[in-house]
Amino acid sequence: MKPAQDSRTALLFLLPLLLTVLIFIAAPVAGTIVESFFRDVTFLPRRFLGVDNFRSLLADRSFHQSVRFTLLFTFASVPLEVALGLIFALVLNRPLPGRGLLRAAVLVPWAIPAAVSGRTFELIYNYSYGLANYLVLTLGVSEAPVNWLGSSYGAFASLVIADAWRTTPFVAIILLAGLSAIPDELYDQATIDGATGLQQFARVTLPLLKPVLTVALLFRTIDALRVFDVAYVITGGGPGGSTNALSLYGYQYFLSGDFGYGSAISVVLFALALILSIFYVRLSGFGRVLT
Amino acid sequence: MKRSTIWILGLCLVLPLFGCRQQPEARLTFAIGGAPAELDVWEELVQRFSEQTGIAVEMLRQPTDSNQRRQGLLIPLKARQADPDVFLMDVVWLAQFSASGWLLPLDEDVSDQFLPRVVDLVDRRGGNLMALPVNVDAGLLYYRKDLLKRYGFAGPPATWAELASQAGTVQAGERGEHSGFWGYLWQGAEYEGLICDFLEVAASAGGGIVENGRFVLDRPANRRALAFLTGLIHDEAVSPPNTYTQMREEEVREAFQNGRALFERNWPYAWAQHQSAGSAVAGKVGIAPLPHFPGGEPAATLGGWHIGISRYTDTPEQARALVRYVTSFPVQKEMALRLGWNPGRRDVYRDPRVLAELPYLGQLREIFDHAVARPVLPYYNQLSQILQRHLNAALAGWVPPEEALRKAQAEIEAVTARYRTGRSR
Repeated sequence: MKPAQDSRTALLFLLPLLLTVLIFIAAPVAGTIVESFFRDVTFLPRRFLGVDNFRSLLADRSFHQSVRFTLLFTFASVPLEVALGLIFALVLNRPLPGRGLLRAAVLVPWAIPAAVSGRTFELIYNYSYGLANYLVLTLGVSEAPVNWLGSSYGAFASLVIADAWRTTPFVAIILLAGLSAIPDELYDQATIDGATGLQQFARVTLPLLKPVLTVALLFRTIDALRVFDVAYVITGGGPGGSTNALSLYGYQYFLSGDFGYGSAISVVLFALALILSIFYVRLSGFGRVLT
Repeated sequence: MKRSTIWILGLCLVLPLFGCRQQPEARLTFAIGGAPAELDVWEELVQRFSEQTGIAVEMLRQPTDSNQRRQGLLIPLKARQADPDVFLMDVVWLAQFSASGWLLPLDEDVSDQFLPRVVDLVDRRGGNLMALPVNVDAGLLYYRKDLLKRYGFAGPPATWAELASQAGTVQAGERGEHSGFWGYLWQGAEYEGLICDFLEVAASAGGGIVENGRFVLDRPANRRALAFLTGLIHDEAVSPPNTYTQMREEEVREAFQNGRALFERNWPYAWAQHQSAGSAVAGKVGIAPLPHFPGGEPAATLGGWHIGISRYTDTPEQARALVRYVTSFPVQKEMALRLGWNPGRRDVYRDPRVLAELPYLGQLREIFDHAVARPVLPYYNQLSQILQRHLNAALAGWVPPEEALRKAQAEIEAVTARYRTGRSR
């Protein structure tokens, strides 16, 4: 085949993907950005507002609360998930008996829909008949049941734990793929050179794992920023709005029929995800790896 | 690659886009949500309508969750879709739906056949009748007759102070053998139910959310109500600590039904459940109007579902026929008997068979006359979300009641200013 024909064929095969990205990702994002400059409320005439929606957001205390929660949640849950995922991956990468079965079992939480695992955790945290209080009372740690979701720290930690339980396997599997791509010879050489296990981890494993680690961090960060299910199911944004994630806040405005303001909230969320993504890519030199 | 292969691939991509075209036809779409058992009854009723009139009806089954039902209507209406033609709306959506121009006024004013207070509060807009009540709800006090008697109380409490003291006495007595027993269970989690519970306590002290068309949240009666509710959890400790984190209708109903509480605030639906086989409290439950503060009157928040027709319907005559059918005496009576739904029609409350099978209905009718509506405003949901967060923070004990009310008021004013002027500041 001639080169020109080659690239035409390539384009044809890429066409479905490009169309999908265009129709289902680029168009809605562009639409939402346009929408965020309008007053689009079902019971009022549509009107161009410029940046007024964003100006209102700056003064909106519930919005501040949501941004604070969303960022804290991301910075607490992602490092935890990546650290745990790395430990899982390192363990699963060793020749263990029944390793295949273990690797499959690790994936189970990730396969459960977030709403379902959220409901499970809500039952665990339940004040009257939850597992957590059963344990606390049976072990005699506390005399009275604990209202786990009753303080802002408690509610926050409960959400981070529920999220980490579900997504750590995802990080573990990605990192495991990265680990198995590192040739054994490198470790053999390192051993001959007299490197300790810790030195091998720091000098061989980590640098070679960096691109994969970046992918895991990137995916998890974007996902954590968009957190919806666990907060919706476990705390409903409470108590006192302390766990009202940005996506939940935007959803409340869409549901109220205020599409302009809801879009502005979504645009802020999109911008946050974009900034953090660029930061990661820059930091890791991931862009160079890709090209 | 052969040219024909390219064409076939291309066609495969494009063809599905045209597959969904449909011929329009004169059939009604009726959107209705609820528990599966409820929907089965609806299906049967709608089928009978089709047989009687020859009008084909497609039932659009929606979930039970009220937010998801709202979302399921918001999207087609915003897109001006002809379907669904007829739907049920939660009482708090009515203002938004009619202000958005989504409802076709009902042509004949039959409102005198319905509960007048309910219709006047929510169904009218600009002289037009926009919707009719299919099912009417109001907050009630459920109490354990056997326990009140055992502890020497003559009857259910008339004032909130009596409620707190009866709850305290019985709770202390029952705790000996029943460690998870509570005096009073109500809805305090951060969701719409909290507004309902707060509003009826506030109204029973002479308070409310709107006064002469303005929001006046921070006023003595409201502070008193919120302080009382917070005190139930933290001072009297007759309501559990998870009141403000987990207590919604079903959690409250289950706990009461398992015999774990003396008093319960809930909607009328809980009655039939409490009387069902397998309920630990069957035959031991009484209902009463909610208590009030001295000098105030008992109040109950109005809930329920109303039927309306979409402005974008392509079959208005058939849609009107369906509304007439659903709100007719025989259908309303059947829904009362089979679903325990409290009808919007007045005449059903006088029907001997209904009264024989649902003895509490006469009492409910009186409670409906004390019903207070949540603000009938198109942006009620925004207002409610803000208020939920601040009330809930007060119940958690994080901010004093007056500060919570003041903050909520400031935030609500900022939001509503955007809707009044259309330009934010």
